Amino acid sequence: MKKILLIINREYLTRVKKKAFLITTILFPLLYILLIFGTTYLGSASKSNLKVILIDESGYFTDSSINMINTADSAIVFYPISDTAVQNNYRKAGYDGFVIIPSLNWQEPGSKEIKFITDKTHGLGTNSMIEKKLNTIWAETLNTKLGIDKEKKEILTSSKFLVNEENQKNKNADAKVASTIGYASGFLIYFILLIYGSQVMMGVMEEKTNRIAEVIISSVKPFQLMLGKIIGISLVALTQFLIWVACIFLVYTVGKSLGSDNAIASSIVEGIQKSFNSVNLPLVLGCFAFYFMGGFFFYSSLYAAVGSAINDDVREAQSLSFPITLIIIFSIIIMSVAINDPSGPVATWCSIIPFTSPIVMMARLPFGVPGTVPVWQLLLSMTLLIIGFLSTTWLAAKIYRTGILMYGKKPSWKEMLKWALRK
Amino acid sequence: MNILEVQHLKKYFATQKAVDDISFTIKEGSIFGLLGPNGAGKTTLLRMITGIFYQDSGEIIFNGKKFNPEKDVEYIGYMPEERGLYKKMKIGEQAVYLAQLKGLSKADALAKLHHWFEKLEMESWWNKKVEDLSKGMSQKLQFVTTVLHEPKLIILDEPFSGLDPVNANLIKDEIFNLAKKGSTVIFSTHRMEQVEEICEHIVLVNKGQKVLDGTLSEIKDNYKENIYAINTDQLQSQFTSSYFEVIKQSNNNLLIKLNENVSTNEVLQHLINEKIPVHSFSEVLPSLNEIFIKLVEGTNNARQFQKVD
Repeated sequence: MKKILLIINREYLTRVKKKAFLITTILFPLLYILLIFGTTYLGSASKSNLKVILIDESGYFTDSSINMINTADSAIVFYPISDTAVQNNYRKAGYDGFVIIPSLNWQEPGSKEIKFITDKTHGLGTNSMIEKKLNTIWAETLNTKLGIDKEKKEILTSSKFLVNEENQKNKNADAKVASTIGYASGFLIYFILLIYGSQVMMGVMEEKTNRIAEVIISSVKPFQLMLGKIIGISLVALTQFLIWVACIFLVYTVGKSLGSDNAIASSIVEGIQKSFNSVNLPLVLGCFAFYFMGGFFFYSSLYAAVGSAINDDVREAQSLSFPITLIIIFSIIIMSVAINDPSGPVATWCSIIPFTSPIVMMARLPFGVPGTVPVWQLLLSMTLLIIGFLSTTWLAAKIYRTGILMYGKKPSWKEMLKWALRK
Repeated sequence: MNILEVQHLKKYFATQKAVDDISFTIKEGSIFGLLGPNGAGKTTLLRMITGIFYQDSGEIIFNGKKFNPEKDVEYIGYMPEERGLYKKMKIGEQAVYLAQLKGLSKADALAKLHHWFEKLEMESWWNKKVEDLSKGMSQKLQFVTTVLHEPKLIILDEPFSGLDPVNANLIKDEIFNLAKKGSTVIFSTHRMEQVEEICEHIVLVNKGQKVLDGTLSEIKDNYKENIYAINTDQLQSQFTSSYFEVIKQSNNNLLIKLNENVSTNEVLQHLINEKIPVHSFSEVLPSLNEIFIKLVEGTNNARQFQKVD
């Protein structure tokens, strides 16, 4: 026991003392925010300005209505041209394509198919935008034809039902806040599993290629060395996480003291308070710590087994660890399903099975216990995860014991399984 | 008293009988040589003695009791053939860590390390990293970390490879010192001249089996071929006798092999009768190297893979 503590201590201190730890601790939240804002920004910025010729044979699309729609949104600009010859040389004339509105009877119901003729594929987004614009003009035209004035139109468009969910067992539940927290914690576990899992793998590989493994194993049992490494690295990840939580609280208290004068500060404070009110934060944080540690033990022991089996070839490491990484990626796909339907069968089962439970359960939990996640499911999931990581650790230890002293050719998964099942 | 007894030890791998029924004993305080060609099973044997591998069958008795890897590793110091240290870790820190894993307290480890670092002139290394050291330097460091906890049994696998003669002598002296203080040393190598210099007792293994076991003088005695060297200043061109045959003749030196049941006195008598002035007459014992080659030769040089049931 004392020796495991020594190993944990070394694994922890050598990593925390490194500059890389400080840098990732600071950079990760920044990158995370950048990723979220960046993709939103890129999504909006990448809209191209398309020049589309509108050849109107119906006579309903007046220049004034087209101008109105053009000024509303400049992503697609319609150019009313009556000369049909432009069809043949629109590209040379500087246009991206054309649509022809055929002559039609406005009283006839049903959809009217129109082709957007172009020489490049623009995708569904562009199509639906053109569709939307044409329909806006068309609706306007129909309104006038049917004698619907502004007042009536206002009633038609703005009067509708809005549905919000209220869970009887949990009145404060707010699906929006819950899914945000679910996403955030699911992704955080995902990143930690991938980043720190591969750190475990690299650490084991380092010991093997440096040949220090044999020296250490003549002092401690291989299992102690493996477990010490996994626990040490998990504590590094936990430290990093606690620093982030502390930072959020710091921002919260500072923001609160700044008061309502500062717009940004008060909006942050408001956001945090909102999540406090609607989500059982202590429970979510507690469960986060549990699933984070449980998931980490579950996967990093497998990564350790892979690290022990290979030599210093990074490509070998990648190909052998790929199946493990794939399961983690699979969990994150299930997570988005679970957030849309947190009580559905996929979400329920994947949050119980230990392979996916660390990520999927964390996505479901913010929706409320026992509202969305019954207590029995949470307890079953936790128990199974404990059994799960005990068995992967046990299995990994057997592979590790053989692999760490084995040099030469890369073993296959089949051979590793043989090592694991041998007495 | 025997520090280590190995009884009918076996360890089979999927394609090889790495250690196939080997037994020997090692006396406390002796320097023991474990010899064998590459792939003979030396490392596997040592790994069982250090508790890294568990034997398939057989018994290891350490210090009079059944070997218990968990407790007894603290009394063993093992320097594997493939040296290993954490490259990015500071030397002082690393040495303390390795000593703590062997059960020393931090204060104890520090005191002992300072003593050794001073003795081997390594003090300036303390805050350097292992990657800054040359191969020979890290070898020295590895040796210190192996013997720091004053183990009863020190196992050194090829301790001199990569060391220059000065440093090799330094380490050799330390090995003698440790043996004098009561430590037992197992010395595994295929460099015979070092064994002849250092070891009292040797075991030779080949293909997983023991082929030779005894003290150095016993073994040489067993394998001597009654060859004697004679120095004289008067040599006939063709020197023949019914007592011996001449193996080699050059200048004033003569190498003879006695015929069976002939004593040295009879030869001397014969030489005197022949009026040949003898300046020196001495027995030529075979070198360990010759014995080694004789025993190992003829078997396949490279160990073949085989099916193990």
